[in-house]
Amino acid sequence: MDDAKQEAARIGREIDGQIVRPKRQLAMVFDLNKCLGCHTCSIACKTQWTREEGMEGMWWNVVNTLPGEGTPKSWETMGGGFEPDGRQRPSRIPGREEFGDAWQFNQQEVLFEGSASHLEPKNFKGEKPSWGPNWDEDQGAGEYPNSYFFYFPRLCNHCTHPACLEACPRGAIYKREQDGIVLIDEQKCKGFRFCMEACPYKRIYYNHVKLVSQKCIFCFPRIDEGVAPACARQCPGRLRFVGYLDDENGPIHKLVHQWKVALPLHEEFGTGPNIFYVPPLSPPRVTATGKPDPSKPRIPIEYLQSLFGPRVEEALRILETERAKKARGEASELMDTLIVYRWPDNIFPDLTKDPATL
Amino acid sequence: MAIEITRRSFLTGAGGGALVLSMGYLGWRSLQKGAPVTALPGAGGAPMPRVDYQSYEDIWRAKWSWDSVAKGTHFVNCWYQRGCNWNVYVKDGIVWREEQAGAYEPIDPKIPDYNPRGCQKGACYSERMYDGARLRHPLKRVGERGAGKWRRVSWEEALTDIADKMIDAMISEEGPGSIMWDQGTAQTNGGAGFAMMRTSLVLDTPVLDVNTEIGDHRPGFCVTTGKMVHCSSSDDLFHSDLILIWGGNPVYTQIPQAHFIMEARYNGAKVITIAPDYSASSVHADQWVPVKVATDAALGLGMAQVMIAEGLYNKRYVQEQTDLPLLTRVDNGRFLRGKDLEQGGRDDQFYFFDLAEQKLVEVSQKTLELGTIDPALEGEFEIDSLQGKLKVRPVFAQLREHLQQYEPEKASALCGVDPDTIRQLARDLAKARAATCISQSNFSKYYHGIEMERAQLLCFALAGQMGRKGAGYMSFPYLSIDGADAVANLRGQGNPKLQLAALGLKMAPRFIADKLRGHTKEMTIYDLAREEFRHGAFPPSLLWLYHQGGFEDLYGRSADWDPSMKRPLSSYMDEAIEKGWQFRPATRPRIFMEAGGNVLRRFRGYDVMIEKLLPRLDLMVTIDWRMSNTALYSDYVLPAAAWYEKDDITWATPLSPFSQVVTRATEPVAEAKPDWEIHCLLLKTIQRRAAERGIEKFKDRHGEERSFDVYDQFTFNGRYNESNVEELLDLILSVSTNVGDVNWRKLKEKGFQRFTALGDNSFMNIGNATDVKEDEPITAGLWHTEKKMPWPTLTRRMQFCIDHPFYEELGERLPVHKDQPSIGGQYPLYMTGGHTRWSIHASWRDQKYMLQLNRGEPVIFMSVEDAKARGIRDGDRVRVFNDISSTEMQARVAAAHRPGQATCYHAWEPFMYKNRKSYSTLTPNPINPVQLAGGYYHLQPMPALFSPGSTDRATRIEIERVG
Repeated sequence: MDDAKQEAARIGREIDGQIVRPKRQLAMVFDLNKCLGCHTCSIACKTQWTREEGMEGMWWNVVNTLPGEGTPKSWETMGGGFEPDGRQRPSRIPGREEFGDAWQFNQQEVLFEGSASHLEPKNFKGEKPSWGPNWDEDQGAGEYPNSYFFYFPRLCNHCTHPACLEACPRGAIYKREQDGIVLIDEQKCKGFRFCMEACPYKRIYYNHVKLVSQKCIFCFPRIDEGVAPACARQCPGRLRFVGYLDDENGPIHKLVHQWKVALPLHEEFGTGPNIFYVPPLSPPRVTATGKPDPSKPRIPIEYLQSLFGPRVEEALRILETERAKKARGEASELMDTLIVYRWPDNIFPDLTKDPATL
Repeated sequence: MAIEITRRSFLTGAGGGALVLSMGYLGWRSLQKGAPVTALPGAGGAPMPRVDYQSYEDIWRAKWSWDSVAKGTHFVNCWYQRGCNWNVYVKDGIVWREEQAGAYEPIDPKIPDYNPRGCQKGACYSERMYDGARLRHPLKRVGERGAGKWRRVSWEEALTDIADKMIDAMISEEGPGSIMWDQGTAQTNGGAGFAMMRTSLVLDTPVLDVNTEIGDHRPGFCVTTGKMVHCSSSDDLFHSDLILIWGGNPVYTQIPQAHFIMEARYNGAKVITIAPDYSASSVHADQWVPVKVATDAALGLGMAQVMIAEGLYNKRYVQEQTDLPLLTRVDNGRFLRGKDLEQGGRDDQFYFFDLAEQKLVEVSQKTLELGTIDPALEGEFEIDSLQGKLKVRPVFAQLREHLQQYEPEKASALCGVDPDTIRQLARDLAKARAATCISQSNFSKYYHGIEMERAQLLCFALAGQMGRKGAGYMSFPYLSIDGADAVANLRGQGNPKLQLAALGLKMAPRFIADKLRGHTKEMTIYDLAREEFRHGAFPPSLLWLYHQGGFEDLYGRSADWDPSMKRPLSSYMDEAIEKGWQFRPATRPRIFMEAGGNVLRRFRGYDVMIEKLLPRLDLMVTIDWRMSNTALYSDYVLPAAAWYEKDDITWATPLSPFSQVVTRATEPVAEAKPDWEIHCLLLKTIQRRAAERGIEKFKDRHGEERSFDVYDQFTFNGRYNESNVEELLDLILSVSTNVGDVNWRKLKEKGFQRFTALGDNSFMNIGNATDVKEDEPITAGLWHTEKKMPWPTLTRRMQFCIDHPFYEELGERLPVHKDQPSIGGQYPLYMTGGHTRWSIHASWRDQKYMLQLNRGEPVIFMSVEDAKARGIRDGDRVRVFNDISSTEMQARVAAAHRPGQATCYHAWEPFMYKNRKSYSTLTPNPINPVQLAGGYYHLQPMPALFSPGSTDRATRIEIERVG
């Protein structure tokens, strides 16, 4: 098989004995070595799609500090996805408080009515919140001075084998033919939330007003016009590559298949995620007096393997090797790809249109 | 069914749900129609593609629609990260959302471009500008100050009462000096934003010089180089092979340009972060150096010692650019001066010992070019002086001896960094091809911050890592259109262009005469700024608070904690004022006018102002677009237009070297008005009321009579008034010398314009000392290194020996490490701070998304060890206290945090705290007497620098669990 056919097989899934696959698959690569944890992506998504009533608590895109419990809280332990033999892994529906919900503030009372002394957040139960979408920001793990953390943007993985789609009894979830974007048809959705239970990444929210499930739509209206998704186009860290997996000249193919430095999250969940991550380098550990101790990496490799699988060590090695070439003044196609000299052409070459010109 | 629709009809039809919702939230329905909007080609009434309504997907497509797009940015003091070009999308007269334009042209194909500058805060201003804190109508206080009880009043009523009270103050015994303005982060500077400055010019009312009070003044850089502004563009980092992040946290505070650091790293640069905690900017470093809080001077001096001991220093740079080869007297350590050698000799004539000719030679004041001179760095020489034989030696020799106390093992004992690591850092820096230090206004907020910055600069000077592509020390960044300053400061009602031309002719002889005596243009500009400063139009806020605001007991307690002081602060203060080194604000304040700033959040110990100053005021007014803590305590609150509701040009920095615009994407909400218009109307009202009351003149602060035709003066006799601000902006651009030939119409359409030069008319820009080229990043300081232009210091060189009596008395003639005083009392933890990721000052602190992505209330970070020892768990409510105050916050327990350090990031509003006592009440902010020094060529106050600064970092605290 040539590369294109291999790719087509990879992005296909078997349904009732037939291989079903979109014509092409859109994907993203997040370079964690450029992520600033600034959440411009989260806000871009928020203002673009989730400001309506019932969506206040939704962060279709969110950035977690890892290690951490994430959004929703402890999502990695909730189950979902598939066993290696294809059976569904048991799971549960995350609750509003676990997502963090949207808090209300008494701005009017404090500032204009003189009826409260100071600003206070309240969750949907009217209580002081004890969890939020970015609650454990910058806390990390390890022991000072060998503490460690990194930023980790998360959204719907637009999986090749979406557990949500399989789980929906209404047939409301579908994968677009032209680009593999996974969508929930809210006209069919009855709010049963089987999808929320089945998704192992817990990236589907429930709209308590419209009584439907909602999630990242990969900004398909923008994609349809040749414009990059809001989270990607607005990312000041320039780390969100977007493109078609089969475009051999594009950065996605180069990073995922050619250089093999971009890895899926929790591949063992069995859904074939189409969001890939360039794993994080980190400064060496230090002795108590701050002297570098390169004998062990700061971020334990076991931890990274638990996220990205066994290939992560090799990916980090490739990054280091190519960086060293650059430091010696030699050329490196990989480094030049990750640098992104020209925005947007180098980072989402098929989606370069400026929305203001539409 | 398939139908063809336009975007507009779509909004009023099927797609209107979201819009109706946000309109309801606004509670302001009249906005729905009639707002003029600027349509870009294709937007607005352009037909959409044929849409198939049978598809579910059309519902989402319909939500992504708008009527018009305008250029905009955020008119707020983001400083290091300011200047991002946004498209503002407008739907039915309200701003729907914003998105970075991403339109910066590439500068050099081999260097990453600037797109798409922006951050999460700017990305939700469309939400912020309509939220519950927005000011919509003029308000008059009807309850106790701060109680949040208001009566809605008309502009007419508010302005008339304010104007009458201002007139009363101006014709009173105290005069216009009793009306104090604060220039805030949310309104001033830029183009029309200079309105407040111009108001204060025509009324002769003073404006607080806030820069040192904020603590942005980079005092160590200032004493070393004679200036504060000096910074390369962010893309110059791509030329570096070593980047030190030392004294800043750019991953929090330079979000739009932090990518250049990561990309330089991929280009082979080594990134080293030096910080006590494993900060967000350590995550992407190749090495993180944990240093004890407030000991960075010891680390730097240890590195300097290594560079000298191992002979790693850049001899040519040291000889040419620094004072290290200048001869000093062995008997008193001071520079050998002309007056030591001959009767009537000059105080600023210095000497080398030339190894080539083996003789004493005069150091040129006109150039750094050494020619054939080979100045000695070592040795001791005997010379004939007026006092007989004198032993002299270069500063370098003195320094070598002085630095022995910072040999790596000794420095390590102070700063906690391994001696081997100190050596490695010194070698890395000395051997790098091009090294940059990313340093921000952090050390300038430490009590001994001067010494921290001096130590850093000593390292960079010894290593010769200044003034080359990719090599430099990022001091204070500023680069702005220079026409605004010029127009703001013109007096008289005549045509401003003619006035400027006349001013240029008037000034020319001064520049020529100065040039003949060897002064650079930069020096003359600073001299003029110093002269202006002496007239008292810009009292530094700390000195004003100390002398007039009731803060003497708080800020003056320095000697309680600083063991190197042999006398109380008041003694240094009296001496500095008596000798004319600093100036004592003498007028009792009667009226406080807040223009977009937020002193009751910003002043360290702002609660003292509430307690002691506010009860003595006749009037306090705040002009802002949101209800700040200062607004909350004001008598009148005047609603200003938001940043997408007015036309203006913003000021900028070389980090992002583009002049940017805000434009009137929509009409201001409700009764809000652009600040330019507010100032016009205020002055118009003053002029009218004075006439109605039969008052013709007032005495200015210098006793001269001035007429009350203040509106006529302000508007250049009506030429530029409340209704034609765009003509004013055109004027400013036409007299600006550093953005090419762009006019307002072109700039408004494009949204930004890259600078073409530093410009002739700004006393701030020139510190960058470099040419701006079209196709290259900007590298600061090339005029010094390539054109051999002298530095604007006493010795005309980067100066490490400061033989000023205060520096000598306090043991700081050469750079030293001094232990952090126990500011606040004997408590075990250091409270550090820094700008937050989640707000620019307080502008977004109470914004719901920013709070939602945080913990919804003020937090303090602390280490696992410290928390455990106190029985504190993450999320617990804690009391933070010391001898000064006590406050409550939520504890965030972080593995990344250093034991002994607790961090409260910047700018929580006091109204977010129980009892309105914020973290800022904990710091007594003691004035360091060394910052009162003056009367020493470059050590003299001028606007923004060389007056005493804030010292809140590393205040001592204790934390305990509540309940």
